[in-house]
Parts: sequence; C-alpha cells; structure tokens
Amino acid sequence: MSLLKIDNLSTEVDGKGILNKLNLKIEKGETHVLVGPNASGKSTLLYTLMGYPEYNVTEGKLLFNDEDITDMEIEERTKRGIAGVYQNPPAINVKLSTLLDKISEGKKQFKSIEGLEGLLDRDVNVGYSGGERKLSEVAQVISLDPDFIILDELDAGLDIENLERISQVVKEELSDKTLLIITHRGRALKFFEPDYAHVMMNGEIICSSKDSQKIWKTIEEDGYERCKEC
Amino acid sequence: MSDVKSASYTQVDNEQAEIVADEDVVILTSHQAYEKYPWSREYYDEEPKEGYFIWARRTTGKPISTCVLICSQYVTQDAQNVILIDEGVEAQMESACAAKMKSLFGKHIGRSKMILKDNAKLEYKHVHSWGEDDDVQSTTDLIMGKGSEVIYSQKCQRVPKSLRLINYNYIEESASLNYSATVIAKEGSVEMYDDTFLNGKKANGISRVRMIARDNAKFTGKSQIIANEAATGHMDCMGLILGDDSNIIAIPQLVNNCEDASITHEASVGKISEDVVNYLRSRGLSEDEAIDLVVNGFMGEEEDIVIDGVKLDSSLFM
Repeated sequence: MSLLKIDNLSTEVDGKGILNKLNLKIEKGETHVLVGPNASGKSTLLYTLMGYPEYNVTEGKLLFNDEDITDMEIEERTKRGIAGVYQNPPAINVKLSTLLDKISEGKKQFKSIEGLEGLLDRDVNVGYSGGERKLSEVAQVISLDPDFIILDELDAGLDIENLERISQVVKEELSDKTLLIITHRGRALKFFEPDYAHVMMNGEIICSSKDSQKIWKTIEEDGYERCKEC
Repeated sequence: MSDVKSASYTQVDNEQAEIVADEDVVILTSHQAYEKYPWSREYYDEEPKEGYFIWARRTTGKPISTCVLICSQYVTQDAQNVILIDEGVEAQMESACAAKMKSLFGKHIGRSKMILKDNAKLEYKHVHSWGEDDDVQSTTDLIMGKGSEVIYSQKCQRVPKSLRLINYNYIEESASLNYSATVIAKEGSVEMYDDTFLNGKKANGISRVRMIARDNAKFTGKSQIIANEAATGHMDCMGLILGDDSNIIAIPQLVNNCEDASITHEASVGKISEDVVNYLRSRGLSEDEAIDLVVNGFMGEEEDIVIDGVKLDSSLFM
C-alpha cells in the first residue's frame, strides 16, 4: 500500500484545466522531488493535495493510506497527516507563538529551533524575510507532526546559507517523514538525496527517475524540453 | 492585571461603593472633589452627582483601578470623572464600565477628563462589558501637557444595543499619545469617534481603531487627526465584517494646518480573506477556529475586568 497514490488526476481552477491525468505513487519514508518550469502545475498539485476548494478535481482520485481523500475538507486531510510548506503563505495578524500553540495542541514544543525565538512574538508572515518565512512554515509543519509533507519551492527567496540552514532543519526534524519537494531551481537537490525525481510539464509528469542528479543535469544543460524525450 | 491594589474606586448603580486610596493617590467622588478643591471645578461641565476624581500626586508603580457598574434594572448613570496626573508622575490605570448581567435596560453616560501635567506618563486600559439592552455613551477629553506620554486602550467585547465612544485628544509640545479602540459586536449600533489635535511642536499622536462586526452589527468609525503644529501623527482604521447583515463605515480624516507637520492614515474594511482561512485550515483548524484566531489576533490580547478588586474574565458576566 502506497502512502500516497495519485490516480489519473485532473484539476481545473476557474474553469481552466491545469493537472492532466496525473499519476504518482509515494511510499512511506521516501523523498521525492518534483521539478518543472514555471506554470507547469507544481504548486497546483500542492494545493490540490491540501484540498483547497478552488482547485477542482474533475477526474481521478487521491488515495492517502488507502483512503479516498479526493473530496475531503482541508483540515481533515491535515488531521490524517498531510501538511504543506508554502512558497507564499499569507500574512496573518496572529503571533507565531499563538499559532504554533494552537496547531500543536501540546504535541511538541519546537521553540528551540535556531532562529525561531525572534519570530515567536511577531505576527505570522508580517514583514518576514524569505528565510524567516520558510523557518516559520517549517516550524508549523513540525508542530503538526504529519506523515507526509509537501515542500513548495523550498529554495525560493533564500540565499545559499539560509537554504542550507532550512534544509538542515528539515533533515533533522523531519527525517522520519515522507517528503515531496517541489522546485524549479533544483538548488534544494544539493541538500537532499531523493529516492525519485519527477519532471512535470503542462500538468503532466513526463519523466521519472531514481537518478535526480542526472535529471537535473539534463535540465541545466538542455532545458526542460529535452525531458520530453526521456 | 496586577493583583496588587494600590488605589481603587467602585461605583454600583448611582452610589459610590468603595474607595481605597493611599498617600500617593487621592481618590474622591467627583462631588466630594468639587466641594473640597474649588480649582477642580474647571474640569467639570457642571456640579457632578456621580463619578470619581483621581489625583496621582506621586509615582507608585502600582495600578489604580476604577469600576463603574450597573447592577439593577432601569438605572441611569451620569458619571463625571476626572483623572489628574501631576507633573512628572507615572501612573498605570485600569477601568471597567459594565453591566453585571443581561437585561438590566441600563443607561450609562460617562464624561471623563484626563489631564496630564508636563512630563507625566499614563498607561490606561479601559474595558467595557454591557448587556444587549443597555445604552452607553462614553466621552473622554484627554489633555496632555508638554512632554507627557499616554498609552490608552479601550476595548469592548460585549456591546449594548447602542454604544458611542467619543474621544478628544489634545497633545502639546513633545507629548506622545498611542491610542487604540477595539470593539467586537454581534448586534447593535456602535459609533466610535476620535479627534486628535496635535497642538505642539514634535507632538506625536497615533490612533488605531478596530471594528469587528458579526451578525447584525452596525459600525461607524470616524477618526480625525488635526495638525496645528510641526508634529507627526498616524491613524489606522480597520474593520472586519463577519456577518452578511453587518455593516461598517470607516471614515479616516486628516487635517493639516501646518506645512511642517506629517500625518498619515490607512483604512480597510472587509471580510477575512479565504486564503487566510484556508491556510489555517491546512494547519488543522476548523473554519470557525480559524476565524476566531484571526479575530482574536485583530483584537489583541484579552483584557481582564476588575470588579471589587477581583479579576474576572469578561465571559463570566453573561
């Protein structure tokens, strides 16, 4: 039984089709990387997996731990162990410490993460730098203690030092989790050793391989179009 | 709030119930002060029958608390209050104006004057909690001497059928005011007015108004900063609409009578963004929990209410 099975999934937003008969299986404990150019549908996959209502599933289904979650509400998916690290989370006039307390409900305290202390009394994502935003996102996800985490553009808006720091936190705190890392830059691949890499274009996965470095090298040298010939 | 009671005034219906004062803070009924200190009469609109007179003569480091309660049906209060902070004195003050239970059909009129002498400091929290059949109007004149500083917050989480909060703030040279007013209403009509006059050079005035309208609440919030000298001021006037039948009118206004003054404003009225609600749902919160969290964040920290020197949660009132 796969932890996550995406079966022939198509979605649309505002009547525009984005994901197109997508298939993907992720086993428990695996790390997958999904790469693709801008507007290929990577973030749509995140929001569809999370259950955002404007992402309308028109075909196919989502199975998580063999349970059909296709029509499940957002918070119910979260309670079943799915969590997302967002690229552009909204600003909220709520202190980060308040939100962490609320979402962790006494499961764990993660205030010891380096750099988090200075954020706890600040409102969530208000005036945050790129690194602070990612740290806040990762801290929230750690507090949720999920089984499966989707990390959207982990390397966006971070300098190399911050990317290394955030990647280290993810590796240390989420080492036993199943990860789907979404990126179009590939810089995050320096810090992770994925079990599988997938290339997405036009809402479809057009190539999958265990050799993520080879895929990224191909993309860097010949561009995403070359992946169509994979 | 601190459990330590330095000085306090409690009024129940139309009668003064208790006064605790110490050598550093004079507390009298307004009527007593009017008789005892003829100089205090300039602070009253007319000879007062109700209300308190507080005169902070020295810095104590302990809070001064007042409580004006309606406990009986059909009571009309007309409290004229004076708070006087002497030159260079620092004071912390916490006030509660409240109905002790629902359906008392009370009327509360509060007319307050807060006077800060030069370089005085005041941190003042004022909490209202009323029954849904009450009628409330609270008017405050804040007169700030040179170099004085005030942090002044008003909150009301249980509004009457009609609530009017009116503030006139007069700020002299190098004085600084940080004023905030936050009201959450499920029903009823709420009017919030504040005028801040920057009357001295380097005066600074900040006004923050937060209106949260649930169900059938109707809000009007009008904030105005009038710069008469080379001073600075900022206001923000924010409204959250949480009910289909609720309504908020926000009117920020800037009047600049001095070319060297700098005054700014921002205003917004709207519902909580779906992005925010969905984001919080993706953190495991239900939709209602997400909205409550945002509303609580919008309102700031919950304030306790002090009745007879005892801390009470506002939810215990009803």
